[in-house]
Amino acid sequence: MDGQLLSETFVELTDTMVADFDIIDFLHVLTTRSVELLDVSAAGLLLADPRGELRVVAASSEAARLLELFQLQNDQGPCLDCFRSGQPVSATDLSADQRWPRFADAAGDADFSAVQALPMRLRDQVVGALNLFRAAAGPFDAEAVHVGQALADVATISLLHERSMRRRDTLNEQLQTALNSRVIIEQAKGKLAERLGIDVNQAFDLLRDQARNRNQRLSDLARALIDGTQAITGPSNGSPRASRPRTRQPRLGPRPAP
Amino acid sequence: MGPCGGLAAPAVRMTDARRRGRVWGLVAGQAAVRGGRVSAADVCAAVVPGVAVSGAWLSAALDAQAGHLMQVTDEVGRQLADLQLTLGEGPLLDASASSGPVLASDLADAESGARWPAFASAAGMAGAAAVFVFPLVIGAIRAGVLGLYRDRPGPLSDFQLGDALVFADTATMLLLDAQDGATGSTGPGDGPGGQPAGLASYRAEIDQATGMLTEQLGVSITDAFIRLRAYAYGNDIQLADVARDIVARRLRLFPDPDLPLGDKT
Repeated sequence: MDGQLLSETFVELTDTMVADFDIIDFLHVLTTRSVELLDVSAAGLLLADPRGELRVVAASSEAARLLELFQLQNDQGPCLDCFRSGQPVSATDLSADQRWPRFADAAGDADFSAVQALPMRLRDQVVGALNLFRAAAGPFDAEAVHVGQALADVATISLLHERSMRRRDTLNEQLQTALNSRVIIEQAKGKLAERLGIDVNQAFDLLRDQARNRNQRLSDLARALIDGTQAITGPSNGSPRASRPRTRQPRLGPRPAP
Repeated sequence: MGPCGGLAAPAVRMTDARRRGRVWGLVAGQAAVRGGRVSAADVCAAVVPGVAVSGAWLSAALDAQAGHLMQVTDEVGRQLADLQLTLGEGPLLDASASSGPVLASDLADAESGARWPAFASAAGMAGAAAVFVFPLVIGAIRAGVLGLYRDRPGPLSDFQLGDALVFADTATMLLLDAQDGATGSTGPGDGPGGQPAGLASYRAEIDQATGMLTEQLGVSITDAFIRLRAYAYGNDIQLADVARDIVARRLRLFPDPDLPLGDKT
């Protein structure tokens, strides 16, 4: 475990939880930091929609195959079990695991051998799960599991922090708003991909870079693109993927004061 | 239940498909009583007993406009819908701004008083003690607003909230169908028994394909979604499959509605 990166990450995450912050970008950063800190291959955050589904709100990679693995867990998989029990669930060797055959097959197709789900808990309620995938089989490091759980807890708090922590109503409002923001971003990814002749993953990176450059929330820029009140004409400097930050990003999240 | 019996996980107790089927049954039953084709107005009537509230109202949006009141179940509902427009504050406006629901389970509490000083007391005078507003949205698509109220304070249970969201989804699809009816290109719902397919289960590809169609067809996001569904329905293909073909650039749709709707490339 990289202690310096660990402390920097928590400083970064707490620093950015100011009023009116960008929840989708925040959770995206949280998943990318999870990959770096916990030595895993991919990470995603799933939220429990009260309609009765687990839905992806952020992932370390927008690869369709990874997103499908999250989605699949509405039927079976560690996230569903984790959500139902409120307990961490892991499989250290999916090829030998009997619990979720369909999920294990799909994970194997995507070259993942080990998986872990850590609960996002708020008092007596489980609101979602942090899902970690690793290419290599083998047990998860105990220290990494603790850090992963701390990251899942930060994700939970971020859903609530804008307003009172006491009201369950607030959590449900924020959760639905975050899920709809995710849909707006998907729609904008499609529009941008079609307009610029790029794929939807590149479109996400471009959208995210532009939101940061313009000091806008991802979902606000996405909506403006769809409504036609703002435009993105192309990558600002070089390939959009090249500018994905690995180190601390000072301009994460907060918008300028009105 | 798992090893931690005290933890509640109500959201997955009922699968999404079963819940949608049950809600659709209540809405369709309302239409049968009325003796007409299922419409968004039936959602308004069905949701009141469905989630145990006192009344409901439903407004249809026209793009970003405030929209018009389509249906109310009683006079209190009408007043609640009107109040926010005259006062310029209230859960309806907040829900429109955030595109997320606003759940005020006690209008007399400090939080509601601080959020909407004028609305909270005026709504109380009108006879509402709790107000729940659900924007009828799919991402950037805005179809309207569904409002619920109770004459006594108290939150929607997790179960009722899940149902209320599915009632709202159903109203969204029915409002979009009605818009489509005006241009006449699609049939009834694409789910079992004429039921619109659920929104929560939509894959990211459907949203991405909708965004792509805004460019291919040069239309609004709402019209793009209507065209996507019309294509799926007209060709008897699952919406998710059409969307996947569009995202993979195996299928393009073309602007002129008089031409065939699309071609495999």
